Amino acid sequence: MNAQFIVDGLIAGSMIGLGAIGVTLTYAILRFANFAHGEFIAWGAYLALAVVAAVPFGMVPIGPFSFGWMLPIAAIAAALLTGGLAILIDWLLFASFRRRGSATIIMVIASFGASLALRSLLEFVFTSKPVYFTRELQIAMPLGGGLRATPDQLLMLGVTAILVIAVHLLLTRTAIGRQMRAVSENPVLARLAGVDVRRVIRTVWCLGGALAAGAGVMAGLLVQIRPYMGFDLLLPLFAAAILGGIGSVPGAILGGLLVGLCEALAVQTVGAEWRAAVGFVILTLVLLLRPQGILGKAAT
Amino acid sequence: MSVAEASPALAVEALVAGYEPDLPIVKGIDASIGQGDFVAILGPNGAGKSTFVKAIAGLVPIHAGAVTLAGRPITGLAAHLLVRAGLAFVPQTENIFASLTIDENLKLCAGVMPAGKRSERIAAMYDLFPDLAARPTTPAGALSGGQRQMLATARALLVEPTVIILDEPSAGLSPKLVGEVFETLARVNALGVTIVLVEQNVRAALGVARTAMVLADGRIVHRGPAKGLAEDPRLGEMFLGHHAAAGETA
Ligand SMILES: Nc1ncnc2c1ncn2[C@@H]1O[C@H](COP(=O)(O)OP(=O)(O)OP(=O)(O)O)[C@@H](O)[C@H]1O
Ligand SMILES: [Mg+2]
Repeated sequence: MNAQFIVDGLIAGSMIGLGAIGVTLTYAILRFANFAHGEFIAWGAYLALAVVAAVPFGMVPIGPFSFGWMLPIAAIAAALLTGGLAILIDWLLFASFRRRGSATIIMVIASFGASLALRSLLEFVFTSKPVYFTRELQIAMPLGGGLRATPDQLLMLGVTAILVIAVHLLLTRTAIGRQMRAVSENPVLARLAGVDVRRVIRTVWCLGGALAAGAGVMAGLLVQIRPYMGFDLLLPLFAAAILGGIGSVPGAILGGLLVGLCEALAVQTVGAEWRAAVGFVILTLVLLLRPQGILGKAAT
Repeated sequence: MSVAEASPALAVEALVAGYEPDLPIVKGIDASIGQGDFVAILGPNGAGKSTFVKAIAGLVPIHAGAVTLAGRPITGLAAHLLVRAGLAFVPQTENIFASLTIDENLKLCAGVMPAGKRSERIAAMYDLFPDLAARPTTPAGALSGGQRQMLATARALLVEPTVIILDEPSAGLSPKLVGEVFETLARVNALGVTIVLVEQNVRAALGVARTAMVLADGRIVHRGPAKGLAEDPRLGEMFLGHHAAAGETA
């Protein structure tokens, strides 16, 4: 067995984990599975691409990397815009169902509709042809132990680590993080404690959308940009969120890394065509054996 | 004299409220609670006591009528704004955040205070409840029933409310703990905070309250001084639903 699957798995797992944080937070606060979350990944990538394409400079590679300084700027812009898109979708769609006290299944089906619409819009505007941030080729550097990674890949692992720590600190150390945990446990009591629940909901959408955009830019940089890039990640996203324990941010990233590693291992041992089955198998096993996930608490 | 001093701490007029639009549970209640009063709201199970106070606290839709807090109309105001207006409500169950630590529970509630006052208020709560001060980083879910009630009360008191409404704080507590909780409420009341206490524990509630209101079937069937009501033979009848026998004595 070749240990290279570890590098490949951690990189795929970082993207899955960043997406899964959004899934897990939206579920914890709004109590429904948002199947449109994958589209935020694709939209994030395309929005960043639009910025890079619109600005005719700043993409001369810096140092060992394959991209110029415009890409981080585009990524930040895409994160903000995707966060805004998530708030907009909530405002247009989910908020009206919440006001009417609609059943969870209606929210889930609505999210399917949003997913379809968002994806079709991308195909309409950008066509389904894969596109790239950069055409620069990168040589993978040896890391020792027979492992190899490109500078871009290593940078993305570092960025993921920083983002995860930042989100963790936001949730555990700040007032808005406390409010998010309070609303997640008991929205009625949170209102009585003076928490503006609608503001918390907006924050969660914005955060989830922004992190998904981060995952999208990474996927675009390391793989390619396609309208289906987010939708194809949906099953791994949910597998990761549930494996980690719904509502747990460290759990989501841990779940993402595990799913990514299992996928990479499956690609290496049984063949690439089985990659998509991994998320499904993990999801089934977790639901059968430990439905509360690794870091989740058992329902009382 | 300011408006606040002239007006009752809490007043409701012809209040009709309920969970469904065409199904009133509170069927027209008029009540005026003076500044600094300690009111016990009593009544049989299902009388609508919780619904009444939840409607005041912005958790149950108000169909008709008006609510004023120290002269200020608050009818239909969102719950998270009511606490800023000076009305604190401690629900009957799930009245603390079990997944947050004691300190986080208090900090969360302190969010409605001006930034410069928050730590001072949290420290004041720790002074009032030394039991909580001893273990600020304990998750609230690990607390005993009595400690939970302390924390719930501290959460409400922290925001320096004009009125605190508590829904059955004695539920599930041992008689000794009920005594402690009520003693704390009496201390808080002595500081000038108006208290509205919904209780099943009639004797204990009448022992600590100044005024009593009895609800049956969504209406007030008796109001008067708390003193002596426990011995009043009419009280039993009110609980049994023969409210025709009970006159308004106030
Ligand atoms: N969430 C709800 N939705 C619909 N109806 C409710 C709800 N909660 C209570 N009710 C109904 O409202 C009526 C009054 O209930 P409420 O809880 O206000 O009574 P209570 O006086 O507080 O009783 P208890 O002493 O048992 O707490 C009951 O008939 C009850 O069935
Ligand atoms: Mg009740």
